[in-house]
Amino acid sequence: MPEWAAEVRARLASLRLAPTREAEIVEELSQHLDDRYHELIAGGASPDEAQRAALGAFRSSAALAQHLTPLRQAQVPPPITPGATSGHALGDLWQDARHAMRMFVRQRGFAAAVILTLALGIGANTAIFSVVYAALLQPLPYETPDQLYSVEVVIPDRREMSSLPVRVQDYLEWSRAETVFSAVAALTPGEWNLTGDGEPQRVGAARVSTNFFAALGVPPAHGRTFLPEEEQPGRDRVAIISDALWRSRFAANPAVLRSTIFLNGDSFVVVGIAPPTLLVPTGPALHTALPFAPRIDVWIPIAPTPRDLEGENWNHGLIVRLKAGESLERGRLQLQSMLNASLRAAMPDMKTEFQTRMVPLREIYSGKIRVRLLLVFGAAALLLLAACTNVANLYLGRFTSRGQEFAIRASLGASRSRIVSQMVIESTLLAGIGGIAGIAAAYLGVGVLLARGPGDLRALADVRPQLPVLTVSLLVSIGCGVVCGLLPALQAYRKDARSVLQESERGHAGAGAAAMRQLLVGVEVALSTVLLASAALLLLSFVRVAQADRGYAIKRVLAFELTPAGPRYSTPPARAAFYQELMTEVRAVPGVSAAGAVANLPALGESNTQVVFLPGDAGTPDITLKRPVAGIRNATPGYFAASGSTLRAGRFFSEQDTTPVVVIGESLARRLWPNAATSAVVGRQIRLASVDAADSTVVGVVQDVKPGAVDRDLPPQLYRPHHQASSGRMFVVVRTSQDPATLAASLREVVKRRDPTVPIAAMRTMKEIVSTALAQRRFQMVLTGLFGVVALLLGAVGVYGVVSYSVTRRTRDIGVRLALGATSRDVVSWVFSHGMRPVIAGLVIGLLGAASLAQALRNLLYGVGPLDPLALGGVALTLLVTAAIACYLPARRAAKLDPLLALRVD
Amino acid sequence: MADINVQALDRELKRGSAELLILSLLDARPRHGYELGKLIHARSGGQLTFHIDSLYPLLYRLEERAWINGTWVEKPGERRRRFYKVTPEGRRVLAQQRKTWDAFVEAVRRVTEAEHA
Repeated sequence: MPEWAAEVRARLASLRLAPTREAEIVEELSQHLDDRYHELIAGGASPDEAQRAALGAFRSSAALAQHLTPLRQAQVPPPITPGATSGHALGDLWQDARHAMRMFVRQRGFAAAVILTLALGIGANTAIFSVVYAALLQPLPYETPDQLYSVEVVIPDRREMSSLPVRVQDYLEWSRAETVFSAVAALTPGEWNLTGDGEPQRVGAARVSTNFFAALGVPPAHGRTFLPEEEQPGRDRVAIISDALWRSRFAANPAVLRSTIFLNGDSFVVVGIAPPTLLVPTGPALHTALPFAPRIDVWIPIAPTPRDLEGENWNHGLIVRLKAGESLERGRLQLQSMLNASLRAAMPDMKTEFQTRMVPLREIYSGKIRVRLLLVFGAAALLLLAACTNVANLYLGRFTSRGQEFAIRASLGASRSRIVSQMVIESTLLAGIGGIAGIAAAYLGVGVLLARGPGDLRALADVRPQLPVLTVSLLVSIGCGVVCGLLPALQAYRKDARSVLQESERGHAGAGAAAMRQLLVGVEVALSTVLLASAALLLLSFVRVAQADRGYAIKRVLAFELTPAGPRYSTPPARAAFYQELMTEVRAVPGVSAAGAVANLPALGESNTQVVFLPGDAGTPDITLKRPVAGIRNATPGYFAASGSTLRAGRFFSEQDTTPVVVIGESLARRLWPNAATSAVVGRQIRLASVDAADSTVVGVVQDVKPGAVDRDLPPQLYRPHHQASSGRMFVVVRTSQDPATLAASLREVVKRRDPTVPIAAMRTMKEIVSTALAQRRFQMVLTGLFGVVALLLGAVGVYGVVSYSVTRRTRDIGVRLALGATSRDVVSWVFSHGMRPVIAGLVIGLLGAASLAQALRNLLYGVGPLDPLALGGVALTLLVTAAIACYLPARRAAKLDPLLALRVD
Repeated sequence: MADINVQALDRELKRGSAELLILSLLDARPRHGYELGKLIHARSGGQLTFHIDSLYPLLYRLEERAWINGTWVEKPGERRRRFYKVTPEGRRVLAQQRKTWDAFVEAVRRVTEAEHA
């Protein structure tokens, strides 16, 4: 039987049919010819004739191909040369991306490692950056916020108080004067008992000038703002409430507008509800001498009485809006000359020239957290750098091991740029995935970050995903991908194809790549050293701060705030009696070992301040400026025992003291009588607030106190007996013989029994108060520490990877050494010396970097020098031990090698 | 009288009626290529002969258009053969082509009758 298939195939040869399709056509047509052949044989033809006649069914040798050419099946795309340029850049990109995705699916472990590492780095950066953006970069929620400034008064050569807020008189004068400011607004803190429907509630409040909301450019969300005439006493019984209070107390009922609320027993008409996004200064943000509540819920107009206008009360914050195009300095000088003119009018013989200072409003909100936030941001950036280094290292190993694949593709026609671009696309794709994962994790993390972060961060807490943050994060991810991929790709694919193939045969592939990997490990170690060293310094600082002697006890102490208000408590004796009786009842509660009350809790820092004069002082302004300003705290006699104050000389005051007495802090004693011994101070006289005041006798000297955060010095302290100078608002301090939290309920019960209308605010243990004060420090320490630990792990993985890779690469070398009589100890020490070299180099460089960074950290450290040997030594030791463990695993593997097997490895 | 779609008619004349022929033959029952060739030759009284190098490309073209469908059929003791049958789409096309064809034939008849008259 004739061989038809060859005939048919010859006619199809010019076409590019898919092989399976060609086989089918050959089979079908051969059958046709065969049928025809057998028919002709049956008809009596000879085999030769029959074959010729059957083939005669073809019109010509080219016709079949001609007729098939227009068909789809004849148009199979040209075969793909892996890595060859298709001529379409986008097509290449797509093809490379698909190729890369297939590689990831096949090498899930590698892809997961890269994605996880980058997600970590990018996630940390996105989280921190979104906070940085909100706090430092995002425009404040005001109309043209860059034109808003806060004004402070600076008294030259004044140590205790570097600056002051302004007087209400200054506000009135400046707001009427023709200046470069389009608005001058004032605000002063207050805290009132809100009564009426429901439980009495202590609310944070502020008296503000009637143009306050207009000056910020933030009108109330509902109702109206204040009217100018509402700054008159008697017409000021109007209030604007916060959105939060409106929702929590009034269930968001719009009928609260025009309804009446009671503040400290006085009635006010609610005229407006502030928008939920309103940002106002809280706490000591505007000025340390203006203790605003942590949250402001009620605003009422300032309405200075004639008496207010005569006093010298530097207790108003001032916010001004600069007219567009005007000079800030000119405005500052305008205010300064008005201030000095008015002071000189009152005190003609004053020589001191006061100065004004303009603080951009942004600094009010973020000035104090700026350094700390930038520190954490820097730490996050270092972490990202370490993550990128680690990923670059991973790629280098991977691209080097794929050297043969690339060489084969190059010999099939792929261009060098094509192969490099494919590696970069792979790394960029993974970085993109890692970036998206990181960003997603970051937004989950930001909430946690803020919830645990310090309070002043929460003031700016609107940290929902922001387009600029997302854009920057994605760009950073892609940038990381390009950098992580490009350097290793260029390094791995440097030589021509033939030499790669030959080299890998000899087992010496990528000697250059190995050197680069060592370098990368060195960089990683250096970065982790810097991070860990900073973290260690911050950790030690935190420990020292937590253990610092603040001058009062922290364990087993409970504190809560009371404000007996209303006509019942309008006289000092009534208030004194309230606290005296309450203390007796509190002391009777089982578990209470001591109880007292103080007007301002030292742990919270704030207190009223007054100038302390000596008898015989003349009332000149220069004497006033020379005498110390002391923080004044009214206290019941029981306070000293309850707070655990340490007496240095003399005695505490008691209920039996009827003549004016005071107890002072050591530093006040030194300021007043620099040459007297502490014990010699007892019995001396002072005059408080004015040269004409009655003499008070110093009966005791106590240890100085520090605020909870221990971050700044308080003014020198002075304590007055509550029964001689009673204030309404007091903190009750209770010392307990058991866990103080367990007494909370019974203490509330005692207060309620005495007077159910007196609200109890902020009942907390002293531990909690101090812990809150340390939130910022803890926040930066934990984050820096966390980043440091992650960087350490990344470094360890890097060391392990490099050592492990080099052991594999040098298997034959090791085999030769073992065969020539080297012991396994020799091998281990060889691997160690090899693996630890980049670690030690990185450690040295990292310690140098950490030392210079620590100089910048100096302000954030407490009780620790920037070169603290314990911190730096501990970091060095931690790194060395971790790296040694990372080296040990591959070293053990090398030592256990069988020389025979090792030599056979190709 | 049915309207004559002039464009369709032109296309039919140019392409010839080979497609119509094959669809008609396969409409009755599935057949393989060799049988189709023989049938066309026999039924046209030897007037129409398909060369192997035009018959099969034509079948493949119809198959690509999904008018017919070829499947390999194996019978015991025989080689497998590729049988073609008309798809529902092919049947629709066939009906359409028959209509066009009938209209054409009718038109030709009228023209020639007019001349005879």
